[in-house]
Amino acid sequence: MLATVASATLVGVEGRPIEVEVHVSRGLPSFTIVGLPDASCRESRDRVRAAILSSGLAWPQHRVTVNLAPSSLRKGGAGLDLPIAVALLAADGQLPLDALPGLGCLGELGLDGSIRRVSGVLPLVDAINAARVVVPGSCAGEASLVRPGKVVAVPTLSTLAAVLKGEEGWPETPFFLPVDDTGAGPDMADVRGQPIGRLAAEVAAAGGHHLLLVGPPGAGKTMLAERLPGLLPELTTEEALEVTRVHSAAGLPLPRGVLVRRPPFRAPHHSSSLVSLIGGGTTMMRPGELSCAHNGVLFLDELGEFPSDVLDTLRQPLEEGKVLVCRARASVVFPARVLLVAAMNPCPCGGGGAPGACRCSDAALARYAARVSAPLLDRFDLRVSVDRPDVGELMGDGSSSPAPPESSQAIARRVRAARDLAVRRGFALNSAIPARELDVAAPLQPKARTMLETRLRQGRLSARGLHRVRRVARTLADLSGHGGDIREEHVTTALALRGPVFEPEGVTL
Amino acid sequence: MTPCASACAAALTRLPGMGPARLLAMIRDRDPRDVWDDVVHGRISKKVFAQPNLLGDSPACSDRSWASAASRFDPEAWWSKARSRGVDVSWIGRDGYPAVLADDPHPPGVIFWRGSLASLDRPRVAIVGTRSASPDGRAVAYEMGRDLASAGVCVVSGLALGIDGSAHRGALSALGEAARDPASVAATIGVAASGVDVPYPRRHAALWEEVAASGAVISETPPGYAAQAWRFPARNRIIAGLSQLVVVVESHEAGGSLITAEAAIERGIEVRVVPGPVGSSACAGSNQLLYDGAGPVRGPRDVLDALGMLMPDPPKPGQAKGRRRSRRSPDGTRISLGPTEQAVLASVGWVPSSLNKVAERSALPVAQVAGALDGLSARGLVADDRGWWTRLR
Repeated sequence: MLATVASATLVGVEGRPIEVEVHVSRGLPSFTIVGLPDASCRESRDRVRAAILSSGLAWPQHRVTVNLAPSSLRKGGAGLDLPIAVALLAADGQLPLDALPGLGCLGELGLDGSIRRVSGVLPLVDAINAARVVVPGSCAGEASLVRPGKVVAVPTLSTLAAVLKGEEGWPETPFFLPVDDTGAGPDMADVRGQPIGRLAAEVAAAGGHHLLLVGPPGAGKTMLAERLPGLLPELTTEEALEVTRVHSAAGLPLPRGVLVRRPPFRAPHHSSSLVSLIGGGTTMMRPGELSCAHNGVLFLDELGEFPSDVLDTLRQPLEEGKVLVCRARASVVFPARVLLVAAMNPCPCGGGGAPGACRCSDAALARYAARVSAPLLDRFDLRVSVDRPDVGELMGDGSSSPAPPESSQAIARRVRAARDLAVRRGFALNSAIPARELDVAAPLQPKARTMLETRLRQGRLSARGLHRVRRVARTLADLSGHGGDIREEHVTTALALRGPVFEPEGVTL
Repeated sequence: MTPCASACAAALTRLPGMGPARLLAMIRDRDPRDVWDDVVHGRISKKVFAQPNLLGDSPACSDRSWASAASRFDPEAWWSKARSRGVDVSWIGRDGYPAVLADDPHPPGVIFWRGSLASLDRPRVAIVGTRSASPDGRAVAYEMGRDLASAGVCVVSGLALGIDGSAHRGALSALGEAARDPASVAATIGVAASGVDVPYPRRHAALWEEVAASGAVISETPPGYAAQAWRFPARNRIIAGLSQLVVVVESHEAGGSLITAEAAIERGIEVRVVPGPVGSSACAGSNQLLYDGAGPVRGPRDVLDALGMLMPDPPKPGQAKGRRRSRRSPDGTRISLGPTEQAVLASVGWVPSSLNKVAERSALPVAQVAGALDGLSARGLVADDRGWWTRLR
C-alpha cells in the first residue's frame, strides 16, 4: 500500500516542499530510501525503526520503499524522520490512510519515540503544503510565527499515532504570542572617555556606515563594537522575520520571544573559513556568519589576521546586501545586509602606532598594512583610532569627568531621529545615497564646499573619498537634527572620522 | 697580469668573510696590488684571520677559500663597471682618502664614494636619530640641517628614514635657497651601510641621488652589495669618525643613534642632544644621553656656538630666544587664538596624540575639536602625521 505525507527540506535559508511517499509490498523484508537523501537522512532508517518499536507499534516485515519527491532535490537533515514514520505506519495499515491528506510533519525521532527539534523550522513550516503541520514540541513558537493556528506540537510518536487513529484529540498547542524580550545588552554608559569612538559608533548606527576601529590592545575596540547593536533601532516585523528565518536555518538559538527583535551581533574569529563566513557547504547550504548578522552588526576583530582571500570575498556582498552562493547542485541567495565593524592594531608590535612610539620596521609595517586590501579599506566610511584611556578616566576620579557617559538609550533616540530624516529624504540609510544624488540629498553650504575643494586640490582627498565624506557629513548633520544644507563643521568632523590609517609615511620635511 | 691598484683595493672588500678589521690589517702600509697577489696565491698571514672582529665573531674563512674566490674573479672588469656608475675608491694611506678618517682608531681600510668629498674640509656635524621619528623631531632635524648647511657646516648623516633623511633634506634645501652664493653653503654627506649604488631604504633612492649630486654618498661596503645587519653599527662609527660634533635629535632606548654617540665618545668627539618630551618613547634614548651628561642643544644656533662659529647677533627687543616656542606664524605676525583654539592647542601637547585623546582632554564636542585642529594646523601651530597630532610651537 502507498501513503504520502507532506514535509519540507532546507535549501539555504528557504524551505522546499517534499512529498514523502512510502510503499509497503510483499517480498523479502527490506528498507530502501530513494530520492537523493544525504547521510543523515539515510540514517533515519534506524531511528525510525527503533522509534516505532519503542512506541509499541510494529515494524512491517515487508519490502518498504521510501521515496522523497521531487527526487532531483538533495535532502538533508533528520527532519524527515517523522514524516517517514507516519507514512510508513499508514502504508502498513497501522494508521488510517484517510488521516493523511492535509497533514504535514516535521521532526527528528529519538530512539524512544520522542519527537525532537530540528533547525530551520520557521522556513520549513512555511514551505509545507498542508492544512495542519505537526512540529516538535519545542519548535511550536517558531513554527507559529509563519502559520499561526495551523501548527500542532506533538511530544511523541505514540501520541501522534493515537491522535491519528482517533483515540485522542489533538493536543492543545498554546496560542503563541511573540513576547517582547529586548533584554538590556551592554550599555554605552560603561564606556569611559573615547569621545571619537563613541561618536563614530553613533554615526555608524545612524547612517549605516561601515566602521574601522584602529587601536592598541586594551583600547576598548571590542567594547565599543559590542555596544553598537544597542544603538540601532529595533527591527521591523519584516526584518525580524528575515533574521529569524536565517537564524533558524543556521540552527542558532533563538531568543525567548522566538522572533529576533534586536539587531543581531556576530563576531566570527579570524580563523573562520571562507565558507563559514559567506555561507555554503557541500550538501546543506548553510548561511554563513555574514548572513547571520543580517540587519545587524558583523564584527571582525583583528581584521589583519583574517586571510586576505576571505576578506576580499566580503566586498561584493557588502555592496549588494546579499550573497549568491553557487555549488554544482544548487545555488542559493543569502541575505547579507550588515553593518560591518572591524578592529585592528595599528601595527604588529601593538605599541599604539603613534609616531615615535612604535618600533616596528618599515617593512613590517608595510606588510601589516598590506593584509587589508585597499578596496576593502575603502568600504569603511569611518576609520578612527581609539587609544587606551588615561588612568584618571579608568578610575573615574570625579575631577576629570564630572558628567557620566551618555547611555545607549539616549544615543539610540538620536539615531532613530536621524534615520527618520534619511527615510523622509527617500533613502533607507545615508550610506546608500548614490553619488549622483548627493547634490540633492546632501547639498553643501559654500564654506563646506570650499573646504572640500581645498582638500581635493591638496591631494588629501580622493574623488571616491569625497563621496564617502559627504555621506558621513550628511549623517552628522542629521544627528544634530539639521536636515538642510551641510555645514562646515559637519564636513570637518566627517574628515576627522576618516582618519588616514595605514597610509605609508608621507615624505614630509 | 696584475690589475690596477684601485681595482685590487675594491676587489679585496668583496672577499667572503671580509670585515673592516681584516681589511685594515691587510691593506695598511701596503700596496693593494701586492695584497691581491698574496690573496690569489694563498699567502695571507694567519694574523689576518686571527683579527678580533669589530662587532663580534667573524665568519670562518681561510687563505685557501680566498684564493679560490679570487681565482674565479676578474677585479678589473668588475671595477670598471662600478667606475662607470660613478663610484670612486681610495684606501688608507693613499691620496683622496679622507684625512679625518686616517687618524681614526678603526678606520675603514678601503672606502667608496659617489660625488665629491670636498665638503669634508669644512666644519662637520653629524645629525643622527631614530627612523620612527615624531613630526616635531623631523622638523627639528630639517631646520638644523638647513641652517647648519647655510652656515657652511657639512651635515653628515646616515641616509635612513626619519631624522637622518630630514637632516639631509634640510641641508639640500639650503643649497636650493642660496642661489646667489652657493659657495657659502656646505654640501651634505651621507654614510651608507649598503654599497653606494644600492639605495636603502628604497624610498630614499631620490634622496641618495640628490646627496651624491651635491655632496657625497660614502660607504665601506663594496658597490652592488646590500647591507647586512652588522654593516649598520659599523657605518655609525664612520659617521662619528667623520664629524667634529654629533647631534642626536631623537633616539629610542637602545636605538642605533646611541651607537653613533658611543663611537663619538670613544673618539673624544663631543655629543650634543636635542631635549625631547619626557613622556615620548622616541626621546627615551636621547634624554638618557642628556641625563648621562651630554650637553643640550636647542637649535642650529647652539650647534654653531659649540663649534665656535656663532656670530654675535644683536638680540631684537622683546623677542623670545627660543624661536620654536614663540606663538608667531612663520611670517612673523602675532597669532591670536579664540578660547576653543586655545583649549585645543593646550590639549594637543608635544607628544603625538590621537584625535581621540585631544577630544578627551579638551572635553569639547568633536566637531569643535576637529575644526580647531584644522585652523591650528593651517597656521602652523600643530601638525598631523597619519592622524597623530603634535604641537609645533
